[in-house]
Amino acid sequence: MIKHKKAQWPWHALTALVLVGLAVSLYLATSLMSYEWRWNRVPQYFAYQAEDAQRAASNGTVQDIVITGDTARVSLKGEDGAEQVLDVDSNSLQLSRGDDVAEGDQVGVTRHWAAGPLAWGLWTTLWLSVVSGALGLVIGLFAGLCRLSNNPTLRDLSTVYVELVRGTPLLVQIFIFYFFIGTVLNLSREFAGVAALALFTGAYVAEIVRAGVQSIARGQNEAARSLGLNASQSMRHVILPQAFKRVLPPLAGQFISLVKDTSLVSVIAITELTKSGREAITTSFSTFEIWFCVAGLYLLINLPLSHLASRLERRLAQSD
Amino acid sequence: MIEVRDLVKVFDTRGQVVRAVDNVTTRVAKAEVVVVLGPSGSGKSTFLRCLNGLEHFDEGHVAIDGLQLADPKTDINAYRREVGMVFQHFNLFPHMTVLENLCLAQKVVRKRGKAEREAKARALLEKVGIAQKANEYPSRLSGGQQQRVAIARALAMEPKVMLFDEPTSALDPEMVGEVLDVMKTLAQEGMTMVCVTHEMGFAREVADRVLFFDHGKLLEDASPAQFFDTPKDPRAQAFLRQVL
Repeated sequence: MIKHKKAQWPWHALTALVLVGLAVSLYLATSLMSYEWRWNRVPQYFAYQAEDAQRAASNGTVQDIVITGDTARVSLKGEDGAEQVLDVDSNSLQLSRGDDVAEGDQVGVTRHWAAGPLAWGLWTTLWLSVVSGALGLVIGLFAGLCRLSNNPTLRDLSTVYVELVRGTPLLVQIFIFYFFIGTVLNLSREFAGVAALALFTGAYVAEIVRAGVQSIARGQNEAARSLGLNASQSMRHVILPQAFKRVLPPLAGQFISLVKDTSLVSVIAITELTKSGREAITTSFSTFEIWFCVAGLYLLINLPLSHLASRLERRLAQSD
Repeated sequence: MIEVRDLVKVFDTRGQVVRAVDNVTTRVAKAEVVVVLGPSGSGKSTFLRCLNGLEHFDEGHVAIDGLQLADPKTDINAYRREVGMVFQHFNLFPHMTVLENLCLAQKVVRKRGKAEREAKARALLEKVGIAQKANEYPSRLSGGQQQRVAIARALAMEPKVMLFDEPTSALDPEMVGEVLDVMKTLAQEGMTMVCVTHEMGFAREVADRVLFFDHGKLLEDASPAQFFDTPKDPRAQAFLRQVL
């Protein structure tokens, strides 16, 4: 049978149509329940103009005000003769020359940009993911190699570790780490959270590493050993580089899962992205918008991550 | 050079006991070329793998250049350095270029400097006739070329003995010749070699001695002329009727 080449773009167009249709019907559904979209309330949760109040240090009078552009320089003279000079934003100035001020009176404010709760939450989620991911990779590599070890104790211990961690929910593990181990060893909540996530990831990485190593043909190890390499040299130079190439897709999946699982540490009051989102909702009441934003921010981490993984995969494929 | 005394290897899988190598005693002198023949499943590959410790044997002694393999004090990695091995399926490292394949063990085991090991590798590639492929990955090479790289890789460690485990069995027929030519050159240069093979022509032409195995037992140990023209053992006679 002859293969006919058919145009692909009408199907892609259909895909776009389906997605647009879904978005429109979602919008219609929310407007039916008379939800008012207030996207304009969202940006302030990423960054806002913080105000620092500038106050008089002692009782006195305003000697002089010099306004240059947006800033006003206010000179105060205290009753005890001490002089105080304050720079404030001119539109926040509440005094004029000759006014009396009491100690602690607000002269005006200075404004500067500050990161909002969602930005902080994103940062916390990022560093939690990176730290526990790196630790999890190290733990997983070690535990995976232990599972393949000839030493029965190492093999047993790593099997117990993997089975215990894989058989219990991450949420429960986080509670155990925070309330039990954290109390016994007096750990901070961040430490408990990172430790729980790292151990959880490590168990899955261990299985991925084990599968990868076992998938490499036995002849590779035999060839390396017959050249005089010892077991660890053979693992390091011959087996692991080939295994790594094979396990890259499941490994990337595991790290993407980890980024999403960091949302669970919100239960021990670590203010990462999900908890920041909840807090933003309590003051903005824009439930839908904030949750969409939070979901978008997780995507912002994970889409580049999977892009990175597939690029690495292509680079390693050059020897095929 | 190689001394084998009362070698026994038993495979015990699910109650099925197979004596893969059954009480074999032989010796290979320096610069001797020994070809091991026998039907499949006769234990000839297992015998070869016992010689460099890839297979743990149950009883007996194996020594190469006076170094006892069964002695717990023997450093198995130091032992294997002196024994090159070539496999049926080449077993080149696919994630490394040809040059890196030849340099890895020189670097990690022999601790040779970069210039020295690369010069050695290039000289060996020249010798096996594929110098122009130094920077290719193994997947770009034909089977015959891959096997020649594998031979060069083993030679880079300057072994005292070379073991060949059916080096031409996985090759297309037109590529067998180029690999056998390399092996012949090696034999002429005085390398001590043990080859498990089905190439009767090679055995007749190059071998100093032929060992015939069946059911793990060493049944014939004779010169090629003697073995091919007047085999003594009835099973060797039956084998030769089949293959010739």
